[in-house]
Amino acid sequence: MKSFISKKIFILLAISLLTFHMLAQTNPIEVKTVTLENSLIRFWNNTGFANLEWSYFLMIIIGIVFIYLGIKKKWEPLLLVPIGFGILIGNIPFMEGYQIGIYENGSVMNTLYSGVIKGWYPPLIFLGIGAMTDFSALISNPKLILLGAAAQLGIFLTFIGAYLLGFTPDQSGAIGIIGGADGPTAIFLSSKLAPELMGAIAIAAYSYMALVPLIQPPIMKLLTNKKERLIRMRPPRSVSKKEKVIFSIVGLLLTTFISPSALPLLGFLFFGNLLKESGVTERLADTARYALINTITILLGLTVGASTQADVFLTIDSLKIFALGAFSFGIATAGGVLFAKFMNLFLSDRNKVNPLIGSAGVSAVPDSARVSQEMGLREDKNNHLLMHAMGPNVAGVIGSAVAAGILLSMLKS
Amino acid sequence: MISLITSLSDILIESVIGILVVFIALSLLVLAFISIGKIFKFLVRRNFRIKTKSKSDYSELTVYDAAAVSLALHMYLSELHDEESGVLTIKRIERRYSPWSSKIYAVNALK
Repeated sequence: MKSFISKKIFILLAISLLTFHMLAQTNPIEVKTVTLENSLIRFWNNTGFANLEWSYFLMIIIGIVFIYLGIKKKWEPLLLVPIGFGILIGNIPFMEGYQIGIYENGSVMNTLYSGVIKGWYPPLIFLGIGAMTDFSALISNPKLILLGAAAQLGIFLTFIGAYLLGFTPDQSGAIGIIGGADGPTAIFLSSKLAPELMGAIAIAAYSYMALVPLIQPPIMKLLTNKKERLIRMRPPRSVSKKEKVIFSIVGLLLTTFISPSALPLLGFLFFGNLLKESGVTERLADTARYALINTITILLGLTVGASTQADVFLTIDSLKIFALGAFSFGIATAGGVLFAKFMNLFLSDRNKVNPLIGSAGVSAVPDSARVSQEMGLREDKNNHLLMHAMGPNVAGVIGSAVAAGILLSMLKS
Repeated sequence: MISLITSLSDILIESVIGILVVFIALSLLVLAFISIGKIFKFLVRRNFRIKTKSKSDYSELTVYDAAAVSLALHMYLSELHDEESGVLTIKRIERRYSPWSSKIYAVNALK
Protein backbone atom coordinates (compact mmCIF):
# COMPACT_ATOMS: atom_id res chain seq x y z
CA MET A 1 0.00 0.00 0.00
CA LYS A 2 2.78 2.37 1.05
CA SER A 3 4.78 1.73 -2.09
CA PHE A 4 1.66 2.29 -4.20
CA ILE A 5 1.16 5.73 -2.59
CA SER A 6 4.82 6.67 -3.02
CA LYS A 7 4.63 5.61 -6.68
CA LYS A 8 1.60 7.83 -7.15
CA ILE A 9 3.34 10.78 -5.52
CA PHE A 10 6.37 10.24 -7.73
CA ILE A 11 4.23 10.13 -10.89
CA LEU A 12 2.36 13.29 -9.84
CA LEU A 13 5.63 15.08 -9.16
CA ALA A 14 7.05 14.06 -12.53
CA ILE A 15 3.88 15.18 -14.35
CA SER A 16 3.88 18.57 -12.59
CA LEU A 17 7.57 19.09 -13.37
CA LEU A 18 6.95 18.26 -17.03
CA THR A 19 3.97 20.62 -17.15
CA PHE A 20 6.05 23.41 -15.66
CA HIS A 21 8.79 22.75 -18.14
CA MET A 22 6.41 22.80 -21.10
CA LEU A 23 4.73 25.97 -19.84
CA ALA A 24 8.10 27.64 -19.44
CA GLN A 25 9.08 26.61 -22.93
CA THR A 26 5.91 28.05 -24.46
CA ASN A 27 5.93 31.26 -22.38
CA PRO A 28 9.26 33.10 -22.39
CA ILE A 29 10.31 34.80 -19.14
CA GLU A 30 9.76 38.32 -20.51
CA VAL A 31 6.34 38.56 -18.87
CA LYS A 32 5.82 41.83 -17.05
CA THR A 33 2.42 41.22 -15.40
CA VAL A 34 2.33 39.32 -12.13
CA THR A 35 -0.05 36.43 -12.37
CA LEU A 36 0.03 33.07 -10.68
CA GLU A 37 1.01 31.39 -13.93
CA ASN A 38 3.86 33.84 -14.64
CA SER A 39 5.21 33.63 -11.11
CA LEU A 40 5.27 29.87 -11.29
CA ILE A 41 7.00 29.98 -14.66
CA ARG A 42 9.59 32.46 -13.34
CA PHE A 43 10.16 30.22 -10.32
CA TRP A 44 10.47 27.18 -12.57
CA ASN A 45 13.00 28.89 -14.80
CA ASN A 46 15.17 29.56 -11.76
CA THR A 47 15.22 25.95 -10.63
CA GLY A 48 17.97 23.48 -11.40
CA PHE A 49 15.47 21.21 -13.17
CA ALA A 50 14.75 23.81 -15.85
CA ASN A 51 18.44 24.40 -16.52
CA LEU A 52 19.53 20.77 -16.32
CA GLU A 53 21.54 19.41 -19.21
CA TRP A 54 23.02 15.94 -19.62
CA SER A 55 26.54 17.29 -19.07
CA TYR A 56 25.68 18.60 -15.59
CA PHE A 57 24.02 15.31 -14.80
CA LEU A 58 27.16 13.44 -15.87
CA MET A 59 29.34 15.65 -13.67
CA ILE A 60 27.03 15.09 -10.70
CA ILE A 61 27.46 11.34 -11.19
CA ILE A 62 31.26 11.80 -11.32
CA GLY A 63 31.05 13.78 -8.06
CA ILE A 64 29.06 11.00 -6.40
CA VAL A 65 31.63 8.44 -7.63
CA PHE A 66 34.43 10.54 -6.05
CA ILE A 67 32.55 10.67 -2.74
CA TYR A 68 31.87 6.93 -2.94
CA LEU A 69 35.56 6.15 -3.59
CA GLY A 70 36.59 8.40 -0.72
CA ILE A 71 34.15 7.00 1.83
CA LYS A 72 33.74 3.37 0.82
CA LYS A 73 37.16 2.57 -0.66
CA LYS A 74 39.01 5.09 1.54
CA TRP A 75 41.07 6.30 -1.46
CA GLU A 76 42.52 9.66 -0.36
CA PRO A 77 39.28 10.59 1.47
CA LEU A 78 40.67 13.95 2.60
CA LEU A 79 40.87 14.95 -1.06
CA LEU A 80 38.20 12.97 -2.84
CA VAL A 81 35.36 13.81 -0.43
CA PRO A 82 35.79 17.64 -0.62
CA ILE A 83 36.50 17.51 -4.36
CA GLY A 84 33.55 15.19 -4.99
CA PHE A 85 31.22 17.44 -3.02
CA GLY A 86 32.69 20.46 -4.79
CA ILE A 87 31.80 18.82 -8.11
CA LEU A 88 28.20 18.54 -6.90
CA ILE A 89 28.17 22.21 -5.84
CA GLY A 90 29.72 23.33 -9.11
CA ASN A 91 27.28 21.41 -11.26
CA ILE A 92 23.93 22.40 -9.84
CA PRO A 93 22.39 24.17 -12.85
CA PHE A 94 21.34 27.77 -12.17
CA MET A 95 20.35 30.97 -13.93
CA GLU A 96 23.35 33.21 -14.38
CA GLY A 97 23.38 36.73 -13.00
CA TYR A 98 22.67 36.00 -9.34
CA GLN A 99 26.34 35.77 -8.30
CA ILE A 100 26.11 32.09 -7.46
CA GLY A 101 28.57 30.34 -9.75
CA ILE A 102 32.26 29.94 -9.16
CA TYR A 103 33.04 31.82 -12.39
CA GLU A 104 30.76 34.78 -11.53
CA ASN A 105 32.70 37.71 -10.13
CA GLY A 106 31.88 38.51 -6.52
CA SER A 107 30.12 35.26 -5.68
CA VAL A 108 31.03 33.43 -2.49
CA MET A 109 32.53 30.53 -4.41
CA ASN A 110 34.42 32.93 -6.66
CA THR A 111 35.92 34.69 -3.63
CA LEU A 112 37.03 31.39 -2.13
CA TYR A 113 38.35 30.32 -5.54
CA SER A 114 40.74 33.30 -5.55
CA GLY A 115 43.10 31.26 -3.36
CA VAL A 116 43.38 28.80 -6.24
CA ILE A 117 43.48 31.36 -9.06
CA LYS A 118 46.02 33.60 -7.33
CA GLY A 119 47.93 30.55 -6.16
CA TRP A 120 48.08 31.23 -2.42
CA TYR A 121 46.41 28.04 -1.23
CA PRO A 122 49.26 25.74 -2.41
CA PRO A 123 52.04 27.49 -0.42
CA LEU A 124 49.89 27.31 2.72
CA ILE A 125 49.37 23.59 2.12
CA PHE A 126 53.16 23.29 1.73
CA LEU A 127 53.60 25.06 5.07
CA GLY A 128 51.49 22.38 6.71
CA ILE A 129 53.29 19.59 4.83
CA GLY A 130 56.62 21.01 6.01
CA ALA A 131 55.38 21.08 9.62
CA MET A 132 54.30 17.43 9.30
CA THR A 133 57.27 15.98 7.45
CA ASP A 134 60.21 14.30 9.09
CA PHE A 135 63.17 14.56 6.73
CA SER A 136 65.30 12.13 8.81
CA ALA A 137 65.07 9.31 6.26
CA LEU A 138 66.38 11.65 3.59
CA ILE A 139 69.13 13.20 5.72
CA SER A 140 70.40 9.83 6.93
CA ASN A 141 70.78 8.51 3.39
CA PRO A 142 71.16 11.58 1.12
CA LYS A 143 71.74 9.61 -2.08
CA LEU A 144 68.05 8.67 -2.04
CA ILE A 145 67.30 12.32 -2.92
CA LEU A 146 68.35 11.47 -6.48
CA LEU A 147 65.42 9.08 -6.80
CA GLY A 148 63.17 12.06 -6.17
CA ALA A 149 64.89 13.82 -9.06
CA ALA A 150 64.64 10.83 -11.44
CA ALA A 151 60.89 10.53 -10.91
CA GLN A 152 60.47 14.06 -12.28
CA LEU A 153 61.20 12.62 -15.73
CA GLY A 154 57.45 12.14 -16.07
CA ILE A 155 56.92 15.90 -15.89
CA PHE A 156 59.22 16.73 -18.78
CA LEU A 157 58.19 13.84 -21.05
CA THR A 158 54.53 14.78 -20.53
CA PHE A 159 55.46 18.39 -21.30
CA ILE A 160 56.69 17.19 -24.72
CA GLY A 161 53.69 14.85 -25.14
CA ALA A 162 51.18 17.61 -24.40
CA TYR A 163 52.81 19.91 -26.95
CA LEU A 164 52.63 17.13 -29.56
CA LEU A 165 48.90 16.74 -28.80
CA GLY A 166 48.31 20.35 -29.74
CA PHE A 167 48.46 22.26 -26.47
CA THR A 168 50.34 25.55 -26.27
CA PRO A 169 53.76 25.51 -24.53
CA ASP A 170 52.25 27.15 -21.41
CA GLN A 171 49.41 24.65 -21.27
CA SER A 172 51.87 21.79 -21.90
CA GLY A 173 53.98 22.88 -18.94
CA ALA A 174 50.90 23.01 -16.69
CA ILE A 175 49.80 19.55 -17.86
CA GLY A 176 53.31 18.11 -17.47
CA ILE A 177 53.37 18.92 -13.77
CA ILE A 178 50.67 16.27 -13.17
CA GLY A 179 53.64 13.84 -13.32
CA GLY A 180 54.95 15.42 -10.13
CA ALA A 181 52.02 13.72 -8.36
CA ASP A 182 51.67 16.74 -6.15
CA GLY A 183 48.26 18.42 -6.10
CA PRO A 184 49.26 21.79 -4.63
CA THR A 185 52.21 22.09 -7.05
CA ALA A 186 49.96 21.24 -9.99
CA ILE A 187 47.43 23.88 -8.91
CA PHE A 188 50.17 26.45 -8.30
CA LEU A 189 51.73 26.00 -11.73
CA SER A 190 48.48 25.76 -13.67
CA SER A 191 47.21 28.95 -11.97
CA LYS A 192 50.25 30.72 -13.39
CA LEU A 193 50.51 29.04 -16.81
CA ALA A 194 47.05 27.85 -17.84
CA PRO A 195 44.22 28.91 -15.48
CA GLU A 196 41.68 27.78 -18.07
CA LEU A 197 42.81 24.16 -17.62
CA MET A 198 43.21 24.24 -13.86
CA GLY A 199 40.05 22.28 -13.04
CA ALA A 200 40.97 19.40 -15.32
CA ILE A 201 44.63 19.40 -14.24
CA ALA A 202 43.80 19.45 -10.52
CA ILE A 203 41.17 16.73 -10.85
CA ALA A 204 43.54 14.58 -12.93
CA ALA A 205 46.40 15.08 -10.45
CA TYR A 206 44.30 14.27 -7.39
CA SER A 207 42.51 11.36 -9.06
CA TYR A 208 45.76 9.70 -10.09
CA MET A 209 47.22 10.36 -6.63
CA ALA A 210 44.27 8.47 -5.19
CA LEU A 211 44.92 5.70 -7.72
CA VAL A 212 48.63 5.34 -6.88
CA PRO A 213 48.06 1.91 -5.23
CA LEU A 214 46.57 0.70 -8.51
CA ILE A 215 48.86 2.42 -11.03
CA GLN A 216 52.30 1.80 -9.54
CA PRO A 217 52.51 -1.92 -8.57
CA PRO A 218 52.27 -3.38 -12.12
CA ILE A 219 54.96 -0.98 -13.39
CA MET A 220 57.21 -1.74 -10.41
CA LYS A 221 56.83 -5.48 -10.92
CA LEU A 222 57.43 -5.23 -14.64
CA LEU A 223 60.71 -3.34 -14.24
CA THR A 224 62.27 -5.40 -11.43
CA ASN A 225 63.18 -9.03 -10.91
CA LYS A 226 62.64 -11.07 -7.77
CA LYS A 227 66.27 -10.76 -6.66
CA GLU A 228 66.09 -6.96 -6.83
CA ARG A 229 62.81 -6.86 -4.95
CA LEU A 230 64.37 -8.89 -2.14
CA ILE A 231 67.26 -6.46 -1.56
CA ARG A 232 67.50 -5.51 2.11
CA MET A 233 68.71 -2.03 2.82
CA ARG A 234 70.86 -0.96 5.76
CA PRO A 235 68.82 0.60 8.56
CA PRO A 236 69.00 4.42 8.47
CA ARG A 237 71.23 6.11 11.04
CA SER A 238 69.75 8.36 13.68
CA VAL A 239 69.68 12.04 12.80
CA SER A 240 70.30 14.78 15.35
CA LYS A 241 68.02 17.77 15.86
CA LYS A 242 70.81 20.11 14.73
CA GLU A 243 71.06 18.31 11.37
CA LYS A 244 67.32 18.65 10.85
CA VAL A 245 67.41 22.38 11.59
CA ILE A 246 70.37 22.84 9.23
CA PHE A 247 68.52 20.85 6.56
CA SER A 248 65.58 23.23 6.49
CA ILE A 249 67.90 26.22 6.03
CA VAL A 250 70.45 24.68 3.63
CA GLY A 251 67.66 22.95 1.70
CA LEU A 252 65.89 26.25 1.13
CA LEU A 253 69.05 28.12 0.13
CA LEU A 254 70.36 25.48 -2.26
CA THR A 255 67.12 24.76 -4.09
CA THR A 256 65.72 28.27 -4.34
CA PHE A 257 69.01 29.83 -5.44
CA ILE A 258 68.86 27.44 -8.42
CA SER A 259 65.13 27.75 -9.02
CA PRO A 260 63.81 31.01 -7.45
CA SER A 261 60.44 30.56 -9.14
CA ALA A 262 59.75 27.71 -6.75
CA LEU A 263 60.18 30.08 -3.80
CA PRO A 264 56.49 30.28 -2.79
CA LEU A 265 56.35 26.49 -2.50
CA LEU A 266 59.80 25.65 -1.18
CA GLY A 267 59.95 28.71 1.07
CA PHE A 268 56.80 27.66 2.88
CA LEU A 269 57.77 23.96 2.90
CA PHE A 270 61.12 24.56 4.58
CA PHE A 271 59.69 27.23 6.87
CA GLY A 272 57.05 24.76 8.08
CA ASN A 273 59.79 22.21 8.64
CA LEU A 274 61.88 24.69 10.62
CA LEU A 275 58.87 25.42 12.84
CA LYS A 276 58.64 21.69 13.54
CA GLU A 277 62.33 20.96 14.03
CA SER A 278 63.38 24.05 15.95
CA GLY A 279 61.52 22.77 19.00
CA VAL A 280 60.76 26.31 20.20
CA THR A 281 57.79 27.08 17.95
CA GLU A 282 55.66 24.08 18.71
CA ARG A 283 52.46 26.15 18.83
CA LEU A 284 53.03 27.55 15.35
CA ALA A 285 53.99 24.13 13.98
CA ASP A 286 50.86 22.71 15.54
CA THR A 287 48.65 25.32 13.86
CA ALA A 288 50.37 24.76 10.51
CA ARG A 289 50.05 20.99 10.63
CA TYR A 290 46.49 20.80 11.89
CA ALA A 291 44.23 23.86 11.82
CA LEU A 292 45.76 25.68 8.85
CA ILE A 293 46.33 22.75 6.49
CA ASN A 294 42.89 21.34 7.30
CA THR A 295 41.18 24.67 6.58
CA ILE A 296 43.03 25.14 3.32
CA THR A 297 42.43 21.52 2.27
CA ILE A 298 38.68 22.02 2.75
CA LEU A 299 38.65 25.27 0.75
CA LEU A 300 40.99 23.97 -1.94
CA GLY A 301 39.17 20.67 -2.40
CA LEU A 302 35.75 22.25 -2.48
CA THR A 303 36.64 25.07 -4.88
CA VAL A 304 38.70 22.87 -7.21
CA GLY A 305 35.76 20.47 -7.33
CA ALA A 306 33.35 23.32 -7.98
CA SER A 307 35.55 24.64 -10.77
CA THR A 308 34.63 21.58 -12.84
CA GLN A 309 31.42 23.20 -14.04
CA ALA A 310 30.24 20.96 -16.88
CA ASP A 311 30.30 23.62 -19.61
CA VAL A 312 33.93 24.44 -18.79
CA PHE A 313 35.15 20.97 -17.82
CA LEU A 314 33.58 18.51 -20.25
CA THR A 315 35.76 19.09 -23.27
CA ILE A 316 38.06 17.02 -25.44
CA ASP A 317 41.00 18.84 -23.83
CA SER A 318 40.01 17.43 -20.43
CA LEU A 319 40.05 13.91 -21.85
CA LYS A 320 43.49 14.54 -23.35
CA ILE A 321 44.69 15.87 -19.98
CA PHE A 322 43.45 12.73 -18.23
CA ALA A 323 45.25 10.51 -20.75
CA LEU A 324 48.45 12.55 -20.41
CA GLY A 325 48.15 12.40 -16.62
CA ALA A 326 48.08 8.60 -16.67
CA PHE A 327 51.07 8.55 -19.02
CA SER A 328 52.88 11.00 -16.76
CA PHE A 329 52.35 8.92 -13.61
CA GLY A 330 53.54 5.80 -15.41
CA ILE A 331 56.72 7.47 -16.67
CA ALA A 332 57.44 9.05 -13.27
CA THR A 333 57.13 5.65 -11.55
CA ALA A 334 59.30 3.96 -14.16
CA GLY A 335 61.88 6.77 -13.94
CA GLY A 336 62.32 6.29 -10.20
CA VAL A 337 62.54 2.49 -10.37
CA LEU A 338 64.97 2.47 -13.29
CA PHE A 339 67.20 5.09 -11.69
CA ALA A 340 67.39 3.01 -8.50
CA LYS A 341 68.58 0.09 -10.63
CA PHE A 342 71.10 2.38 -12.33
CA MET A 343 72.40 3.55 -8.93
CA ASN A 344 72.90 -0.07 -7.87
CA LEU A 345 75.47 -0.48 -10.66
CA PHE A 346 77.80 1.82 -8.72
CA LEU A 347 76.96 0.82 -5.15
CA SER A 348 78.60 -1.86 -3.03
CA ASP A 349 76.53 -4.88 -1.95
CA ARG A 350 76.15 -3.39 1.55
CA ASN A 351 74.74 -0.14 0.23
CA LYS A 352 72.45 -1.44 -2.52
CA VAL A 353 69.09 0.23 -2.94
CA ASN A 354 65.89 -1.78 -3.31
CA PRO A 355 64.46 -0.50 -6.64
CA LEU A 356 60.95 -0.73 -5.21
CA ILE A 357 61.58 2.50 -3.30
CA GLY A 358 62.34 4.33 -6.58
CA SER A 359 58.66 4.62 -7.34
CA ALA A 360 58.19 6.65 -4.13
CA GLY A 361 60.09 9.48 -5.81
CA VAL A 362 56.85 10.58 -7.47
CA SER A 363 55.87 12.51 -4.34
CA ALA A 364 52.22 11.57 -3.47
CA VAL A 365 53.20 11.50 0.20
CA PRO A 366 52.83 9.01 1.84
CA ASP A 367 50.84 6.76 -0.51
CA SER A 368 53.66 5.92 -2.91
CA ALA A 369 55.98 5.07 0.05
CA ARG A 370 53.24 2.82 1.38
CA VAL A 371 53.04 1.08 -2.01
CA SER A 372 56.82 0.39 -1.85
CA GLN A 373 56.39 -1.05 1.66
CA GLU A 374 53.53 -3.32 0.61
CA MET A 375 55.35 -4.52 -2.51
CA GLY A 376 58.43 -5.26 -0.40
CA LEU A 377 56.41 -7.19 2.18
CA ARG A 378 54.76 -9.22 -0.55
CA GLU A 379 58.19 -10.58 -1.53
CA ASP A 380 59.68 -10.86 1.96
CA LYS A 381 57.55 -10.56 5.08
CA ASN A 382 60.43 -9.11 7.08
CA ASN A 383 61.69 -6.56 4.59
CA HIS A 384 60.23 -3.24 5.73
CA LEU A 385 60.92 -0.53 3.15
CA LEU A 386 58.68 2.25 4.48
CA MET A 387 61.41 4.26 6.23
CA HIS A 388 63.70 3.98 3.21
CA ALA A 389 60.90 4.91 0.80
CA MET A 390 60.07 8.04 2.80
CA GLY A 391 63.45 9.48 1.68
CA PRO A 392 62.69 9.59 -2.07
CA ASN A 393 59.08 10.37 -1.23
CA VAL A 394 59.84 13.69 0.47
CA ALA A 395 62.64 14.33 -2.05
CA GLY A 396 59.90 14.02 -4.68
CA VAL A 397 58.02 16.89 -3.05
CA ILE A 398 61.14 19.07 -3.29
CA GLY A 399 61.90 17.79 -6.80
CA SER A 400 58.44 18.51 -8.17
CA ALA A 401 58.48 22.01 -6.65
CA VAL A 402 61.89 22.66 -8.25
CA ALA A 403 60.58 21.32 -11.58
CA ALA A 404 57.52 23.61 -11.30
CA GLY A 405 59.83 26.55 -10.70
CA ILE A 406 61.94 25.63 -13.71
CA LEU A 407 58.89 25.31 -15.97
CA LEU A 408 57.60 28.64 -14.72
CA SER A 409 60.88 30.42 -15.37
CA MET A 410 61.28 28.76 -18.79
CA LEU A 411 57.78 29.54 -19.99
CA LYS A 412 57.28 32.97 -18.48
CA SER A 413 60.63 34.61 -19.20
CA MET B 1 56.00 38.20 -20.02
CA ILE B 2 55.91 36.17 -23.23
CA SER B 3 57.01 32.60 -23.75
CA LEU B 4 60.09 32.17 -25.92
CA ILE B 5 59.24 28.57 -26.72
CA THR B 6 57.63 28.31 -30.13
CA SER B 7 58.64 24.98 -31.65
CA LEU B 8 59.10 21.30 -30.80
CA SER B 9 62.88 21.63 -30.82
CA ASP B 10 62.59 24.42 -28.21
CA ILE B 11 60.41 22.16 -26.09
CA LEU B 12 62.92 19.30 -26.38
CA ILE B 13 65.87 21.53 -25.45
CA GLU B 14 64.02 23.07 -22.51
CA SER B 15 62.92 19.64 -21.28
CA VAL B 16 66.48 18.32 -21.28
CA ILE B 17 67.66 21.46 -19.49
CA GLY B 18 64.77 21.20 -17.06
CA ILE B 19 65.49 17.63 -15.96
CA LEU B 20 69.22 18.42 -15.74
CA VAL B 21 68.54 21.42 -13.48
CA VAL B 22 66.31 19.27 -11.24
CA PHE B 23 69.17 16.75 -10.99
CA ILE B 24 71.74 19.46 -10.32
CA ALA B 25 69.62 21.09 -7.60
CA LEU B 26 68.97 17.82 -5.82
CA SER B 27 72.55 16.58 -6.35
CA LEU B 28 73.77 19.70 -4.56
CA LEU B 29 71.47 18.79 -1.72
CA VAL B 30 72.94 15.26 -1.73
CA LEU B 31 76.50 16.61 -1.62
CA ALA B 32 75.61 19.12 1.07
CA PHE B 33 74.09 16.47 3.28
CA ILE B 34 76.79 13.89 2.74
CA SER B 35 79.30 16.54 3.88
CA ILE B 36 77.13 17.74 6.75
CA GLY B 37 76.67 14.11 7.87
CA LYS B 38 80.45 13.61 7.83
CA ILE B 39 81.06 16.83 9.75
CA PHE B 40 78.51 15.80 12.35
CA LYS B 41 80.05 12.33 12.72
CA PHE B 42 83.46 13.94 13.19
CA LEU B 43 82.13 16.42 15.74
CA VAL B 44 80.32 13.71 17.70
CA ARG B 45 83.49 11.58 17.84
CA ARG B 46 85.64 14.56 18.85
CA ASN B 47 83.21 15.57 21.58
CA PHE B 48 83.15 12.01 22.87
CA ARG B 49 86.95 11.91 22.96
CA ILE B 50 87.16 15.24 24.78
CA LYS B 51 84.54 14.19 27.32
CA THR B 52 86.16 10.84 28.10
CA LYS B 53 89.63 12.40 28.22
CA SER B 54 88.55 15.01 30.69
CA LYS B 55 87.30 12.34 33.08
CA SER B 56 90.44 10.13 33.08
CA ASP B 57 93.57 9.98 31.00
CA TYR B 58 93.75 6.46 29.58
CA SER B 59 97.15 7.04 28.00
CA GLU B 60 98.79 6.49 31.40
CA LEU B 61 97.13 3.07 31.85
CA THR B 62 99.66 0.21 31.78
CA VAL B 63 98.89 -3.31 30.57
CA TYR B 64 98.98 -4.53 34.18
CA ASP B 65 96.39 -1.98 35.19
CA ALA B 66 94.22 -3.00 32.25
CA ALA B 67 94.56 -6.69 33.21
CA ALA B 68 93.62 -5.94 36.80
CA VAL B 69 90.59 -3.92 35.75
CA SER B 70 89.50 -6.67 33.35
CA LEU B 71 89.86 -9.36 36.03
CA ALA B 72 87.95 -7.30 38.55
CA LEU B 73 85.19 -6.70 36.04
CA HIS B 74 85.11 -10.38 35.08
CA MET B 75 84.85 -11.50 38.69
CA TYR B 76 82.24 -8.93 39.46
CA LEU B 77 80.12 -9.87 36.43
CA SER B 78 80.49 -13.66 36.78
CA GLU B 79 79.55 -13.62 40.46
CA LEU B 80 76.46 -11.62 39.91
CA HIS B 81 73.25 -13.51 40.44
CA ASP B 82 69.63 -12.66 40.68
CA GLU B 83 68.71 -10.34 43.46
CA GLU B 84 66.78 -12.12 46.19
CA SER B 85 63.86 -10.58 47.97
CA GLY B 86 65.39 -11.40 51.34
CA VAL B 87 62.05 -12.45 52.84
CA LEU B 88 61.87 -15.96 54.27
CA THR B 89 58.56 -17.75 54.53
CA ILE B 90 57.55 -21.17 55.80
CA LYS B 91 54.75 -22.49 53.79
CA ARG B 92 52.64 -25.15 55.46
CA ILE B 93 51.60 -27.79 53.01
CA GLU B 94 49.32 -30.70 53.71
CA ARG B 95 51.12 -34.00 53.24
CA ARG B 96 49.29 -36.24 50.87
CA TYR B 97 49.02 -39.93 51.46
CA SER B 98 51.35 -42.07 49.40
CA PRO B 99 51.98 -45.83 49.79
CA TRP B 100 55.67 -45.25 49.02
CA SER B 101 56.23 -43.47 52.26
CA SER B 102 53.74 -45.51 54.28
CA LYS B 103 55.13 -46.79 57.58
CA ILE B 104 52.94 -49.89 57.52
CA TYR B 105 54.34 -51.11 54.25
CA ALA B 106 57.83 -50.45 55.41
CA VAL B 107 57.34 -52.50 58.58
CA ASN B 108 55.80 -55.39 56.57
CA ALA B 109 58.73 -55.39 54.27
CA LEU B 110 61.11 -55.92 57.17
CA LYS B 111 59.32 -59.06 58.35
